Amino acid sequence: MRYADFTPYDLVLLAQGLGVTLGLFAATTLIGLALGAALTVLHYYRVPVIGHVVVAVTELLKNSPVLVQLFLVFFGMPAFFQVNMTPVTAALLTVSLNTAAFAFVIFRSGVEAVERDQIEAARVFGHSRWQILRRIISPQAAAFSVGPLIGLLVNQLQVTSLISVIGVADLTKIGNILNLRTLEPFVVWSVIGLTYYLCAKALAALGGRLERHLRRSVVWQGL
Amino acid sequence: MIRSWNALEPHLGFLLEGFALTVAACVLAVAGAVVLGALIASLRTARSRAARTVAAVYCDLFRNVPFIVQLFFFFYGLPELGIYIGAFETGVLAMSIAGGAFVADVIRAGILSIEQGVIEAARVFGLSRWQIFSRIVMPNALRVSVRPMGSVLINLVLTSSILSTITVNELTGTAKIVAATTFMPFEVYAVLLVLYAALTYTLSLAVTGVHRRLNRGMPEAVA
Repeated sequence: MRYADFTPYDLVLLAQGLGVTLGLFAATTLIGLALGAALTVLHYYRVPVIGHVVVAVTELLKNSPVLVQLFLVFFGMPAFFQVNMTPVTAALLTVSLNTAAFAFVIFRSGVEAVERDQIEAARVFGHSRWQILRRIISPQAAAFSVGPLIGLLVNQLQVTSLISVIGVADLTKIGNILNLRTLEPFVVWSVIGLTYYLCAKALAALGGRLERHLRRSVVWQGL
Repeated sequence: MIRSWNALEPHLGFLLEGFALTVAACVLAVAGAVVLGALIASLRTARSRAARTVAAVYCDLFRNVPFIVQLFFFFYGLPELGIYIGAFETGVLAMSIAGGAFVADVIRAGILSIEQGVIEAARVFGLSRWQIFSRIVMPNALRVSVRPMGSVLINLVLTSSILSTITVNELTGTAKIVAATTFMPFEVYAVLLVLYAALTYTLSLAVTGVHRRLNRGMPEAVA
């Protein structure tokens, strides 16, 4: 007997794959954004050497393929540092760092977009550097960054599909399994593609609402 | 470290072959993406509502589905239709189509940035619609969109690493083989990371050069 046809159980598989994809996406987003924000604070305080190292490393991460980064972590690190590495750990580590690198750039330009006058005024009022960051810069930088961040996250959702290559059973991997079993590439990949599409659209819609909420106090007065 | 370099040396030729294939795929895909992107962008700004809708759906779809899913769709799907082309050709095709969607958005923004007065002036001079499009609109749109197109094309180069998943032995594919035979994955992939970064850096320098050349004699943008 050949199990070549689609079965109802395939829907369960699909749901599992979607769960893995969304779970990993959520986890890497949280870690990546937190790390990106932390790096931005480091950069803001102009820590001597570390600031330059952070910029160099994030540039390297932004300018190399995520697939190669995944291979470096999953195949390279266990061989070089003699550590154990599961596919999920490798995926979490790589995608989080990648998100952090891009988020760092977005946050940094958000911080730089805050007018100097406001910071000078705050300094005149005797605020400390931390108070300025906390009360003046970060609320505005968050509002500036939210638009580009949504674009980044929609992109990172698609980047998570690469983790299927190192064996994480995400949506793409499930697609691969179903494709090889049923030999119906059009049906399988259309369904998988559509699922990703709907997730991306939902994410963008959610982000749009958040953006309107954050920018409600900013009135666009034209150029 | 010395040991590593000695062990990698016999494989340099093989890696170089992979590099050549990556460059070939990128050159072909960049050409394809720019041509397709210009075509889709002109459809998106056309008078006919149907053409605009088709082009908008194309951009939306191919931007929001992960590239690896699109690649598998073509790689497993095309033989089903009786189209037998090699993995390399499939990869270039998929990269051109996906890249075209991103390039189209950039060129469309360029077209929309042209002042209506310029087009009206051309019309007053008695230029035909085709002449206006090919002599006035397109050159100006391309001039404006060189820089944003550069970042899209750099992304396309990074995307080319995904071709290794459909048996194309480009740079990442050959590196996988070398990593397996030498059992030095960390060193191999670390070198690869730097190589890709160098490649994209060179490309970004070239883009800046083209941008300067096309915009010579133009006043610097104020914003």
